[in-house]
Amino acid sequence: MKKLWYLALAAILGLLAAGSAFAEEKVVTVAHDCTWPPMEFVNEKQELVGYSFDYMDAVAKEAGFKVEHKNVQWDGIFAGLANGQYDVIASSVTVTPERKRQFDFSEPYYEVLQAVALPIDSTATSLDQLKGKTFGAQIGTTGKFALDKHPDVIAKSYDEVGLAFEDLINGRIDGVVCDDPVATQFALLNKDYAKKIKIGFIIPAEQVEEYAFAVNKGNQELVDLLNKGIRAVKEKGIDAQLKAKWFKSAQD
Amino acid sequence: MSMNKSSAPRVIEITDGASIPDPRDKNLISAWSLAFVGTILCTAYLCWNDPDAYLEALKSLPGGVLVTFEVTACAILLSLPIGLFTGLGRLSRNRIINLIASTYVEVIRGIPLLVQLFYIYYGLGRLFKVPAIFAAVIAMSVCYGAYMGEVFRSGISAISKGQVEAARSLGFDRRQTMMLVVLPQAWRTILPPVGNEFIAMLKDTSLVSILAVGDILRKGREFASVTFMYFETYTMIALVYLFITLILSRCVSLMEAKLAYYDHK
Repeated sequence: MKKLWYLALAAILGLLAAGSAFAEEKVVTVAHDCTWPPMEFVNEKQELVGYSFDYMDAVAKEAGFKVEHKNVQWDGIFAGLANGQYDVIASSVTVTPERKRQFDFSEPYYEVLQAVALPIDSTATSLDQLKGKTFGAQIGTTGKFALDKHPDVIAKSYDEVGLAFEDLINGRIDGVVCDDPVATQFALLNKDYAKKIKIGFIIPAEQVEEYAFAVNKGNQELVDLLNKGIRAVKEKGIDAQLKAKWFKSAQD
Repeated sequence: MSMNKSSAPRVIEITDGASIPDPRDKNLISAWSLAFVGTILCTAYLCWNDPDAYLEALKSLPGGVLVTFEVTACAILLSLPIGLFTGLGRLSRNRIINLIASTYVEVIRGIPLLVQLFYIYYGLGRLFKVPAIFAAVIAMSVCYGAYMGEVFRSGISAISKGQVEAARSLGFDRRQTMMLVVLPQAWRTILPPVGNEFIAMLKDTSLVSILAVGDILRKGREFASVTFMYFETYTMIALVYLFITLILSRCVSLMEAKLAYYDHK
């Protein structure tokens, strides 16, 4: 009987040893809110895909770590990072001073603008011409923050930007504000939507908006690792290939 | 209350919604007063201790409280007649009316309110372009109309058959019997569980925040999404909801006590 115990103990120890050998390649858990095409979304085959998925995988390959992707809700994505449910947010997070106070960021990996999607017959070229109109944006995004800076327009916050676009199509709101690649995806590349809406104009920004990977405050080790990967991806021109793959123009 | 259940067959037990304090519970420290005082003290202490976080979070909510009340009040007004007609329909001898009412209750009770909200707003949204608040009220009323229908039905069936027989033998027709004899009595039995449904409804309005309606929950979430103070904000949201539902459940219990008084007179 005792022999059996020793055997079991040996087996467990062996497993633990195997486990730690496995863990030598660092596993980093990455959270995405997959409602933000083409950056991160769920495709027709129910797979999680997008520019930031491929970018993150390339970074991981260059910097030598393993990635575990997680699909989470945007509202609460920062709370999950703070609670330690994952290590990194790679979900089109624009670096803002408010976010920088709470979290650390990698080097930026993409530049965006705030685009305003409007009904196709609209002739407006700035928010000033649309006083009193209602605009939708996703909760907690820079699109919503840009709207909040214009008290003349009414801002509505949605859980998903796709629901805001649905309301725009149904004529319940007068426009949607979001990052320009996402606006392009919804307004120009979606055949049903393209007949009804267009990208009206870009909201002028005081400074350039840039996406970066967010990690918990003080996790310098992970920031360094990500930066190493990002630099390699940029040097090798992988980012250009990914841009060509994910950002199609409306003519395609 | 449960002990008296068997001897008081007129009390219908509906267990969802808030817990209604028992009017017979005359102890100084009841669960209700403990929760109520606790809520107020907790809110006051947190706001005093860390005003930058908790007081600011609390300040972001009043606009939402108004919307929550608005949706609840409108949904109550709409769901009461729906519930009454459904309850009567369920008791109707007309087989078609009965079937329609019963099917309505079966279908609505089998679909989660959250799904109903999505269905009415986004699903039917392409056909009926109603504003979000309106869609929220419709969905809540249709859903709670079915729940309320069951309350009305059981309240009406709780009236003893002797009442109906007496009215009928005095020459009242079926309609008069229902309107003049049964319903006025059933009303008293029905009111407390209906009040209970209202409280449940007020809590369920938190679901309408997914339609981008600026209720308490959405106002709080918007605040948290900018400040990242999730713990503080959700604590305040919970306390505000608790405060409101405790007051309402007190009102329902007072109403219940009053009705019980007439009962024993």
